[in-house]
Amino acid sequence: MDEQIGKEVIVTENLKKTYHDNGIPVYAVRGVDLTITRGEFTAIMGPSGSGKTTLLNLISGLDTPTEGKVWLNSKLVSEMTGNELSDFRRDNIGFIFQAYNLIPVLTVEENVEYIMLLQGVPPEERHKRVLKILEEVGLVEMIDRKPPQLSGGQQQRVAVARAMVAKPAIILADEPTANLDSETSGELLDMMRKLNESTGMTFLFSSHDPIVIQRARRVITLTDGKISNDKIKR
Amino acid sequence: MIFKFAYRNILRQKRRTFFTIMTMTVGFTLAAIIIGWTDGSYNLIIEKFTRAYLGHIQIHYQDYLEQPTLYKNIDNYREVGKKLDELQTAESWAPRLYAAGLVSVGEKSTVGQIIGIDPILENKATGFHKQVKKGKTISKTPAKQVVIGKVLAKTLNASIGDTLYIVSQAADGSIANDMYKIIGIVESDDQMKDRMAIYMHLYDAQKLMVLENRVHEIVVMVEDINKVDEVVSQIENSLNNSQLNVLPWMEVNKSFYATMQMDKESNNILSYVVMLIVGIGVLNTVLMAVLERTREFGVLKALGTRPLQIFILIIVEVLIMTIASIVLGAILGTAANYALSHYGIKMPVSYDLAGVTFDTLISEVNLKSIVFPSVLVILAALLVSLFPAVYAAKTEPAKTMRFH
Repeated sequence: MDEQIGKEVIVTENLKKTYHDNGIPVYAVRGVDLTITRGEFTAIMGPSGSGKTTLLNLISGLDTPTEGKVWLNSKLVSEMTGNELSDFRRDNIGFIFQAYNLIPVLTVEENVEYIMLLQGVPPEERHKRVLKILEEVGLVEMIDRKPPQLSGGQQQRVAVARAMVAKPAIILADEPTANLDSETSGELLDMMRKLNESTGMTFLFSSHDPIVIQRARRVITLTDGKISNDKIKR
Repeated sequence: MIFKFAYRNILRQKRRTFFTIMTMTVGFTLAAIIIGWTDGSYNLIIEKFTRAYLGHIQIHYQDYLEQPTLYKNIDNYREVGKKLDELQTAESWAPRLYAAGLVSVGEKSTVGQIIGIDPILENKATGFHKQVKKGKTISKTPAKQVVIGKVLAKTLNASIGDTLYIVSQAADGSIANDMYKIIGIVESDDQMKDRMAIYMHLYDAQKLMVLENRVHEIVVMVEDINKVDEVVSQIENSLNNSQLNVLPWMEVNKSFYATMQMDKESNNILSYVVMLIVGIGVLNTVLMAVLERTREFGVLKALGTRPLQIFILIIVEVLIMTIASIVLGAILGTAANYALSHYGIKMPVSYDLAGVTFDTLISEVNLKSIVFPSVLVILAALLVSLFPAVYAAKTEPAKTMRFH
């Protein structure tokens, strides 16, 4: 993994997205050129409506750009469709959502192993990896519980475990601390940073939470759909 | 995993799932009863109709049925009978001779149908003696006795003990006339026979019409009416006589068979209507279940679930409910059909079908009453699930969750 550190994992080129709201064009992203290298722990900050979420959607292939290109792990994501895109997301991207978005009818273990199940990982291997990641996020004893039986912080830890267990190239997290108190947010971010350091996995956040900004090693500021500042902390 | 996921999903809204399964169960049960009842009633009608007189199979000389005449007859009927006796699938057989003539009692006269029967064989095949409601049946040996239909007796103002005169033209062109003693009155379910028939010993009829050792018809009863076509082939092979026509009851009385089939079809339409109502109920449930989970489908797609996998998930959810309803419906439908097959439902007014009178409707427990509704329920459920399943599969993650 260390040999890969520093290699480009996300590249966007003149990325644009225009929505139409009742016929009126809304320029959400206006030409973003961005390069994220492997192992980064980066936050995209900016006020509401600055285009943070749209940018993450475009990078992950959840949305298609109006113009421009997105490469993820050297693959041109912006031109992928259908099953190719589904499979690419499954194998290369881990998602952490603001509202956790765990599947309520599945247990913690089943939620975490879901992606590996799609990948066809054998049951013993799945169970082993689930136990390992739950141990790292401190939730082994909650393995048989279902999401409604967990606190918000615990659910977000499960979401982190789900995002990381399949060892994707990048973890995309949109406002991961928005529903958590500051103490839980701090603990969660510390845990993610530790995982980033131990695994070399790339983390890209969208957030305006100071706790996230404080812990990020690189902070990109987005204003009106454009990068207005890009700062690497020393 | 998909099964486990689907199973847990349908348990999310227990009450809704319960009512959906109940809707399908009621639909299944109704369809099972409609089919059981239809088959039971029609099989009873067919059995009654064929047992009473028609027989399951008839053997004639070539095109006798199309153009019946005295001269188109079977001259070696005992040989045919021997071969029929050798067939295990042929339960019984009976020879008949037909002729028409002017009949009179005292000053009353009318046209009648003379039917020569072998009392022993006829009783065994059709239970003729049971249809004699007044007096007695024809004796085993020829004695110039006749049994006449109830309506004919009324027309001729005839009573038991009266003398019946018959005038006709014999097969050799001579005048056939003789006197017979009325010894019984027949009251069958066949109105036509009650109005026209004069039954006499086969020997007496052959003698009257100068057709010694000849008959016009041989009826055959089979053990299983559903295998009648199979027995027809066996008889054809056994007789190996191109001059004889072996026909199943469906071809002997085509109009009766067509009426049965048409009535059955119209009852099947009832099942389709029931399933249409079930389908609308299921569509409503599945659509609700899908629409309230669009965000979840968005998450699943974001995580890398293929559209087809989401489509399958919805279909499996519907199939689980469908299978539960089939199991319940099969139990309820079979129980209802079993009860109705034993007790039946007495009609307030009896009705006539192809000259046979019926007053009770009974049901039947058969495989079709389970298989047909099962196929209908599965098809209806799958059909109405297609749209919600496609809708779920096409969920756009960015639109449904906007990353939140």
